[in-house]
Amino acid sequence: MHKYVIRRLLLAIPVLLLSSLIVFGLMRVMPGDALTALMAESGNVGERELRKLREDLGLGRPYHEQYLIWLWQLVSLNPGYSIFTNEPIAAALGKSIPVTIELATLAMLLGLVIAIPVGVLSATRADRPADYVGRVVAVSGLSLPDFWLGTLVITFAALWLHWIPPLGYASLWESPWRNLQQFLLPAAVLGFRLSAATMRMTRSTVLEVLREDYVRTAWAKGLEGRIVVYKHALKNALIPVVTIVGGQLGTLLAGTVVVETIFALPGMGRLTVEAILFRDYPVVQTNVMLVATTLVTLNLLVDLTYAWLDPRIHYQ
Amino acid sequence: MPTDGPVALRQRVNRREFLRRAGCGAGMGVLIVGAGRARLSAQPVSPYPDWIPPSSKPPKPGGVLTRASSWDPPVLDPRLTQSIGLFQFAALTSNRLVRYAFADEASGTNDLTLKGDLAESWQSSPDHRVWTFKLRQGVKWHNVPPLNGRGLVAADVKHCFEAYAKEGVQSFTFREIEGMETPDEHTLRVHLQSPNVLFPQNLAEPITVIFAREVLEEDGDLKKRLIGTGPYLLKEHTRKVRVVLARNPDYFDKGRPYVDEYTILSTPDAATRLAAFRTGQSDILWLASLGEVETVRKTNPAAVVQEYKNVLAPFGLALAQDKPPFNDVRVRRAISMAVDRQKQVDTLFEGHGIPGWGVPYLYYQDKMPTLAQLGPWWQHRPTEAKKLLAEAGHANGFETTLFYYEYFPQMTSQVQLVQQDLKRNLNINVKITKLDYTTYYGRYVESKWDGMAWGFQSGHAVGLDERTYQYMHSKSTKNFFRVNDPLIDELTTKLRQTPDRGEQRTIARKIVDREYDQVLRMWMPYDNGFLVFQPHVRNMAALALRRTDGYGASAIARLWLDK
Repeated sequence: MHKYVIRRLLLAIPVLLLSSLIVFGLMRVMPGDALTALMAESGNVGERELRKLREDLGLGRPYHEQYLIWLWQLVSLNPGYSIFTNEPIAAALGKSIPVTIELATLAMLLGLVIAIPVGVLSATRADRPADYVGRVVAVSGLSLPDFWLGTLVITFAALWLHWIPPLGYASLWESPWRNLQQFLLPAAVLGFRLSAATMRMTRSTVLEVLREDYVRTAWAKGLEGRIVVYKHALKNALIPVVTIVGGQLGTLLAGTVVVETIFALPGMGRLTVEAILFRDYPVVQTNVMLVATTLVTLNLLVDLTYAWLDPRIHYQ
Repeated sequence: MPTDGPVALRQRVNRREFLRRAGCGAGMGVLIVGAGRARLSAQPVSPYPDWIPPSSKPPKPGGVLTRASSWDPPVLDPRLTQSIGLFQFAALTSNRLVRYAFADEASGTNDLTLKGDLAESWQSSPDHRVWTFKLRQGVKWHNVPPLNGRGLVAADVKHCFEAYAKEGVQSFTFREIEGMETPDEHTLRVHLQSPNVLFPQNLAEPITVIFAREVLEEDGDLKKRLIGTGPYLLKEHTRKVRVVLARNPDYFDKGRPYVDEYTILSTPDAATRLAAFRTGQSDILWLASLGEVETVRKTNPAAVVQEYKNVLAPFGLALAQDKPPFNDVRVRRAISMAVDRQKQVDTLFEGHGIPGWGVPYLYYQDKMPTLAQLGPWWQHRPTEAKKLLAEAGHANGFETTLFYYEYFPQMTSQVQLVQQDLKRNLNINVKITKLDYTTYYGRYVESKWDGMAWGFQSGHAVGLDERTYQYMHSKSTKNFFRVNDPLIDELTTKLRQTPDRGEQRTIARKIVDREYDQVLRMWMPYDNGFLVFQPHVRNMAALALRRTDGYGASAIARLWLDK
């Protein structure tokens, strides 16, 4: 097991290096840079001055130099400064990561709370009204886009309840109640969407497992239905579900921009999108690498969870 | 909405709004094209006034004003950006030398009278090359380190103007300064390289705020702290969350500002801003269409609405007119006549827009021009257009390209309508490329492109000099439309040397007549909008070219809450 983990960690190095090269290269291929985005609109800045400002910001250095400098900054955990705002990237991330993690965690919890019981219910009541309802909910979750659902939720909250989550982000430590109000609706929107895929996967895998011989044996032994389903069937049905959930968590960290925008939350999604638009190279590169590292780690954790869920699985 | 300009527009119409409009548009298009031709030249009548006089009641001090805003400041340094995201509050933390009249002292929405801000008075030499500004006495910098409330002196302004000229987005304006002297602590004498009677107007632009030299010297830039002499202190700036301004108790205009705190909440989504207004979390709301106003009024019947009529269009079709085929005026005229602008107004802007012109009309006439008044080349006359293009040697049309950035979702439809008009009426095949913001800007302002671009003029400036000389003179770095017309050069230069307002109007008229006749910039229709605010907000009215929630934010020092 330990050897397996070490091998996976070593394999992660070339993956991350390749990711860093791709994101660095793609950002340089895109036309324009932060100075173009910031100043060119005025029409007041001459080419010579722009060149000087680029030199000052280190944008005039050869690409390989820029890459190596950035890589060293990453390795030494000091990703440098935003060229757009001059803010330390670590500080910008320090503000946005907790927002996204909180949103993703809440959404994931809400998603699982909906998905697992409904998925199991659908499987144990297959082709009966409860199953149909569960499947309709799952298909709705897959079909309704976040932006539509989010807009609808906030509009109807304003119209019917004369209430919307308070604007102006407050952290969990500053003001827990205000924070909860701000996160509940966006997490519900995201969680509903996440629950759909998990729900469908839970249903199909539980259905499959329920047809296994050992489950039939459990029934034959006269065990209670709850015990058969939750103790014997569900645990074995969870491997594909865990794979999906792991992937969803990674997607959540990188892809909550729409919900963050609608509910005015200053998370990583908004930070990254703005940085891409304004060609803030170091911020984009660092964010992408952070997401890549998280995904690699999550994948490893998911793989390790398999062994815990199914004792027959051994890593060598 | 010229006061907001391209940068601001990026966030104004969102996906949701577009889908709504597109949904309406599909139905409306059929109705309008089929049945609405008769009313094409008239805008639907709005029941809302375009001017709200100031309150006659004595102002009540105190309270907190809150606004959900789509704009975030990219940086705090006024040398580096003209973004409305910054100037929606920099206009309150800082002052300029001169300013335009506020709503509570203006005679109406079109009042362009200059008033003293930090300057008490100003006058020019007879040749309009030397301007002397007498500064107000007793003005103090904000009482925070490193200024600690010290008094403002003329050397501060001199240093600030020198820094603007040295680098950054305002260098064009300030590089016309040949030198400056400060004969005493409260006098600044500015020597210009060439006469310019409109120089004070340039200093009244919302972006020419006076910043603190100590901050620049200590920090090396102005990206972290915004300290000025204005009515509000910057209490908090959390990116993508909020900007909080606190009343400056030492403000020179005693008794003002009235409101204790002004909070701007970063709210990028239009539906959320609307919901925030409906639930009372936001006091001010900007809406683009009459339909949206009616929707809000259903839940908030007491909301006050001001119709904001645009006085110019920020976008138009820019042609590479220094190269064939667009260097032939007949080609430009033919293209202009092939485009059905009224169709754009009716379908894209729900009948509530302007046909498009570049110089604000109030500089040369009192009433908003109609499409007919723009001259023969601006009318939709496809047959004559085809004839003219044939005369220019392009009877079978030609191939060209057009690139644009989608500032608002209707813009894509607008570009496509132009493409269809040119194909159908002139057999001109336009290959459209949609670019992202930075790529578009980089290519557009470099001015080396061929074919066509969807051009713009930025929104921060309201002055006549900005809108004429700076955007149209062949030597100006802001001449993005590549105008190169000796008569325009002569007229825009003459305008800078003409102090009489009446004569200025005559010259401005000649400039726009020449622009329309030669189709130097092919302006396209643009919508109007509505400023909606809670019933307890007083003196909020916007003036022409100066929306109170945008570049005209300095007027918020005059606003009060009747609660």
